[in-house]
Amino acid sequence: MIQLDNVHKKFGNLEVLKGIDGEIRQGEVVCLIGASGSGKSTLLRCINGLESYEEGQITIDGKLVDRKDPSIRALRTSVTMVFQRFNLFPHRTALENVTEGPIYVKGEARREAEEHGRELLDRMGLGAKAETYPTSLSGGQQQRVAIARALAMRPKAILFDEPTSALDPELVGEVLGAMRDLANDGMTMLVVTHEMAFAREVGDRVLFMDGGLIVEEGPAERVLTDPQEDRTRDFLRRVLNK
Amino acid sequence: MQFLENSGRYLPLLLQGVGITIALTLAALVISTLLGLVWALMRYSGIAPLVFVSKAIVNTVRGIPILVQLFYIYFVLPEFGIDLSAFQAGALGLGLAYSCYMAENFRAGLEAIDKGQIEAAQSIGMKWSLMMRRVILPQAIRTVLPPYGNTMIMLLKDTSQASVITVAELTMRGKLVASSTFDNMTVYTLVALLYLALSVPLVILASYLERRFGAR
Ligand SMILES: Nc1ncnc2c1ncn2[C@@H]1O[C@H](COP(=O)(O)OP(=O)(O)OP(=O)(O)O)[C@@H](O)[C@H]1O
Ligand SMILES: [Mg+2]
Repeated sequence: MIQLDNVHKKFGNLEVLKGIDGEIRQGEVVCLIGASGSGKSTLLRCINGLESYEEGQITIDGKLVDRKDPSIRALRTSVTMVFQRFNLFPHRTALENVTEGPIYVKGEARREAEEHGRELLDRMGLGAKAETYPTSLSGGQQQRVAIARALAMRPKAILFDEPTSALDPELVGEVLGAMRDLANDGMTMLVVTHEMAFAREVGDRVLFMDGGLIVEEGPAERVLTDPQEDRTRDFLRRVLNK
Repeated sequence: MQFLENSGRYLPLLLQGVGITIALTLAALVISTLLGLVWALMRYSGIAPLVFVSKAIVNTVRGIPILVQLFYIYFVLPEFGIDLSAFQAGALGLGLAYSCYMAENFRAGLEAIDKGQIEAAQSIGMKWSLMMRRVILPQAIRTVLPPYGNTMIMLLKDTSQASVITVAELTMRGKLVASSTFDNMTVYTLVALLYLALSVPLVILASYLERRFGAR
């Protein structure tokens, strides 16, 4: 459903993506791992059209991702994104954060959008927090609101960029739990993460990125326990010994 | 006693000037706010030609004294076929001059907003105008309002400059009354008190805005 063909991206002279190929299939959970600076966020941002790319192509269900074309907005509602730092709208309640897109972007009726929004907050275990502003929520709660906000667009897939890296350790579990439930419900997900246990348990496949290339990919279990490439092995040794 | 008696005679004339001062302040406030918003949004858009034009206008206008701008609009524009009444010229001149202060204030408010907000808005498919209206501007208002109150006070006082192009506002009336009665002391005391009376509500408003939105 998400197709990457020889994607190249430069920031000035710095080539950050050096030809990425790959595919995320319907219903699949793909975890993207790799060292800091290897280009993981950049790849996600290119798929979401937050960043342009110079060469190659990205398609979503056959439609080209072109940041400069108005069609990008429809693509963004079909593949939404969850950010490391939540990026909730601070001047809106949890429920308003969730209903903002459905009401103002998709033109849904307010009542329906709110009903759906409450359902999603419930599903995230935040039914009681609908009227609360983000500043009064913990990091874990904020990230779950952000996931509900992404879900409210009824997307075909969700991109997660290190969704638990900004959280206190004791709050990581609740967010990963919510993501596991999503995965079990069949949501297509591309997850940048440093949580190897999550990748192994929930991920169908793992992509390992290094220096702007996908160096190794395969079934999660296999890549994480029996990597074929030296660079993957080094990386895993470093993260797991931390 | 003499002061009160004379005041009673001058006040009706001066109060007419107060009306015009208020009208001029409001007109210039509306013009400067709208133009300031336009300059700030052009700058914020990141689109090179718009950014350039916005910067050029703001820096040019800021570099010219308000008096000179007023003279220019009132005396020079007619040569290009643009004939404005003194009041219109005053409102336009002050509005243009103040749009630059406004723009700088609005820009600071816009730039104080976390870039993550833009990405979040884009990632749920918002287009630029919707994002500005629903996400960016409502947040920018918090930082913009406290200085806005102070700008209003400055603008009120600067309307006195429009007297040089014959707008019959408070200062102009004061000058007329003073020169015909030679009672400078009473007249200018009254004029000063009237300006004070006009600005006190604004001062209260500004400090309210400061308290309500400033801390944080
Ligand atoms: N807007 C930008 N301008 C210039 N360089 C950038 C920009 N964004 C990212 N980079 C650079 O691109 C490279 C890849 O960054 P990216 O954020 O994609 O890495 P990452 O794999 O997500 O790392 P991390 O695990 O630290 O989040 C880095 O060297 C980074 O400094
Ligand atoms: Mg990153």
